[in-house]
Amino acid sequence: MNRRSLLSAALAVPAATALLGALPARAEMDIGRASSFIEATGRELVATLNSNQPIAVRRQKVADILRQAVDVDGVGRFILGRWWRVATPAEQQEYMQLFEETLIRNLSARFGEYQGVTFSLGRSQQRTEDDALVNTVIQRPSLAPFSLDWRVGEVGGQPRVVDVIAEGTSLRLTQRSEYSAVISRNGGKVAPLLDAMRQQIAALAAREGR
Amino acid sequence: MSLSRRPLFSLALAGLLALSACATRPPASEPEALAEYEFNNDPLEPMNRGLYVVHNGIDTVLLRPAAEFYRFLVPQPVRGGVRNALGNLRSPVIFLNDVLQGDPERAATTLARFLMNSTFGVAGLFDVAKAAGLPGHSEDFGQTLAVWGLGEGPYLFIPVIGPSNPRDLTGFGMGIAADPLTWIIADGDSTAEALGWTRTGLTAADTRESLIEAIDSVNQTSLDPYATLRSAYRQRRAHEIRNGGDNAAPSDALGTGLGAGGSSYAPR
Repeated sequence: MNRRSLLSAALAVPAATALLGALPARAEMDIGRASSFIEATGRELVATLNSNQPIAVRRQKVADILRQAVDVDGVGRFILGRWWRVATPAEQQEYMQLFEETLIRNLSARFGEYQGVTFSLGRSQQRTEDDALVNTVIQRPSLAPFSLDWRVGEVGGQPRVVDVIAEGTSLRLTQRSEYSAVISRNGGKVAPLLDAMRQQIAALAAREGR
Repeated sequence: MSLSRRPLFSLALAGLLALSACATRPPASEPEALAEYEFNNDPLEPMNRGLYVVHNGIDTVLLRPAAEFYRFLVPQPVRGGVRNALGNLRSPVIFLNDVLQGDPERAATTLARFLMNSTFGVAGLFDVAKAAGLPGHSEDFGQTLAVWGLGEGPYLFIPVIGPSNPRDLTGFGMGIAADPLTWIIADGDSTAEALGWTRTGLTAADTRESLIEAIDSVNQTSLDPYATLRSAYRQRRAHEIRNGGDNAAPSDALGTGLGAGGSSYAPR
């Protein structure tokens, strides 16, 4: 299938869904469903980023949006990879909390940079059997626009973001490499990673400042 | 001078000391560790990490400040023009690689862009071809060798250049050798030589300038920037080799290192 027919398929699916009414449920992620999910989530996120509310309020809202839109548990476990089973149950639990906090703080520390951000859907394509890849173009004032792909999977019957890809670079793969390197270089122990994550969160919180 | 030389010297020494070390291959009894070792493709990791430290030293005292200075000195529309012109000068090498990869359509695009931008685009300063619906792409000998089936070899981190591997490094050399400008400059007078150095200097300044935010962000947010850069470079190269849909700008056609396809976060 070439790109143009994929694009027309992406455009046709929502229309067909509207015409035919309820389609039988499928295990694989439907492109139209994935892109409208990304569009709705993105609109919510952009509105929060651009609002004039205090940082703490915006961070809380962003946290709520991310918890709902991202498969935090799945992504977190994917990134810890083979070290998940090395970690004690207490470490696993703390890792998950720190991972979620890192995700939120990474965004909230950049609220200033994201003032005036807009986004639009680009082409959309089915990438694997189960996941859909939704392309978006992110635009910030006076900066060159850039393209991001959102990998959307079905988790517990709901569409959820499972990865973000910039120019062929998957965020979860890169982060798995990063975390694994920290653990490997500390004698295969998970605790030093958790220490580093705590420090990073503190640094991000300090940057967020006010 | 002596102030900046001494840390560089000790950094170089640290790098050389690391040269002797090799990463230990995990035993077959640890299949997951072994899989990760092979996935990372970095058997020379201790040496590479030493060279990465050397690179960071050079970057801190020289490359990043030079890039900041370039950004401060040259206003934006002019920097964009410089980037376009540098990309246009890469056209012959990009064209050659389009052909060598058996892609006449992309070769024709590169040729048409070169003709349009060199004339109507005032020596390449304006990307009129892009405005006319012919966006550029990057292509280099490292990618061509990959398309021909050559493996990348072990991951390498080269100071100043950045992430690489034997295949991409070979391709980088081939790119210089195959560039008509290299030979025109070599045969020319002192003016040609000066222009050649200007081009090299501008390429370095433009590349590093375009990466200021990206590299700052990696250094600020990654718990292990070395591992992050390794993963990102290898994924991006794999994506470039299969012409995965994003068009890296022609100015990013260095074929190796931090500048390979790195500066253009352009939409499709």
